[in-house]
Amino acid sequence: MTRAHAVWVIYASLVGALLFTLLPLPMDWRGLRPDLAALALFYWVLALPHRVGVATAFTVGVAQDFIEGAPLGLSSPGLMLATLLLLYNYQRIRQFDLLQQSLAILGLMLLSAGMEQWLRNGIDVPAAPWAGVAGMVCSVLFWVPIRTVLRHSRRYYEVY
Amino acid sequence: MLCLAILFIFRDHPRVTAVQRGAVDVVAFTSNIVLAPFDAWDRLLESMQSRNALQDEVLRLQQENRVLKGQAQRLASLLSENARYKALLNSARDIEDELIAAQISSVSPDPARHLVMLDKGAADGVEEGQPVLGAEGLIGQIVLVGEYNSRALLITDSAHALPVQVNRSGLRAIAEGSGDIDRLVIRHLAATTDIRAGDLLVTSGLGGRFPHGYPVARVTNVEIAAGDAFAVVSAAPASALDRGRHVLVVAQSSQFEAAAAP
Repeated sequence: MTRAHAVWVIYASLVGALLFTLLPLPMDWRGLRPDLAALALFYWVLALPHRVGVATAFTVGVAQDFIEGAPLGLSSPGLMLATLLLLYNYQRIRQFDLLQQSLAILGLMLLSAGMEQWLRNGIDVPAAPWAGVAGMVCSVLFWVPIRTVLRHSRRYYEVY
Repeated sequence: MLCLAILFIFRDHPRVTAVQRGAVDVVAFTSNIVLAPFDAWDRLLESMQSRNALQDEVLRLQQENRVLKGQAQRLASLLSENARYKALLNSARDIEDELIAAQISSVSPDPARHLVMLDKGAADGVEEGQPVLGAEGLIGQIVLVGEYNSRALLITDSAHALPVQVNRSGLRAIAEGSGDIDRLVIRHLAATTDIRAGDLLVTSGLGGRFPHGYPVARVTNVEIAAGDAFAVVSAAPASALDRGRHVLVVAQSSQFEAAAAP
């Protein structure tokens, strides 16, 4: 394992993605907001699996719960599960072309959101499955730009 | 495992709640920073309003003020009349509710929920469970209180339900949130019940959380399917929940104190 370098870039990008969640949107459009935090998390897991893993996923999930005002621990299990799956398959997914990669990311988001919906049903917190699916499609459209930006910053700051 | 444990077992543990209360202030502070440019833009637009527009606004407000003052005169006489009757009946006198003015500073990004952040917290006297009023009626209740900010759940959230009363007939019912920002639903009303479109629903005061008599919604549609035992009643909130930022938190309601006194 190499010595860490410029790891702050990872956390800065995750925080930036979480701040994006705070931007105002009309009430009925909130479902279409791309989940940039999850995308950034998946990118870093894919790029630096030895730096970013399940613990980071847990932290991002807790931060999301705080921002949404949801019961603690609602978002984390889904993100952790998706991250775990990504950790087992990152070498394969890195070889995919952009379309295949987007589809893989869509699958991961479906998994993590599905887990969240299931937990919501379990503890009687309202769920909006269709808004969720629409939001995921929007999110996946942002995969390529997010990947490009983060890859450039990773190379520029030499994060490893 | 840890988060599942927090989620299912320790969800209402005092320490978890304390962490969530602390987080309310942190999130509100961060989101105020993120929103600052938007607010600044709004203020810029406001300051560029023409003199004429402002004069019109002042005129409109003066007229509104005159009308309200006129109504308040009647209110004063009615209040004293009411107090006399109550004295005759030997029951406690209603004092006015204590209100805290607050502003909605942001809306939760969770699309399935109708949660808003208010800019007043425990330091200002806000407590969990207090009702929140909009310009025209009840809009929600406080669910989580930080030191300087709090979260309120709107009445249209699909996890929210409140006891109401039809103003015209006194009929009691439960108005549930539908998940749509402009609709409440009353289920389990017998199909033969006297309720029709246009009826005003007010809080009934049952349950002891919302004081009696605040307007909640107006019935828009009564759907009675042939052969069904129950009608499905839709109502539109009296106060537009997705418009306006200024709200009032009912900090202390005399009704409950009167009820609690021996």
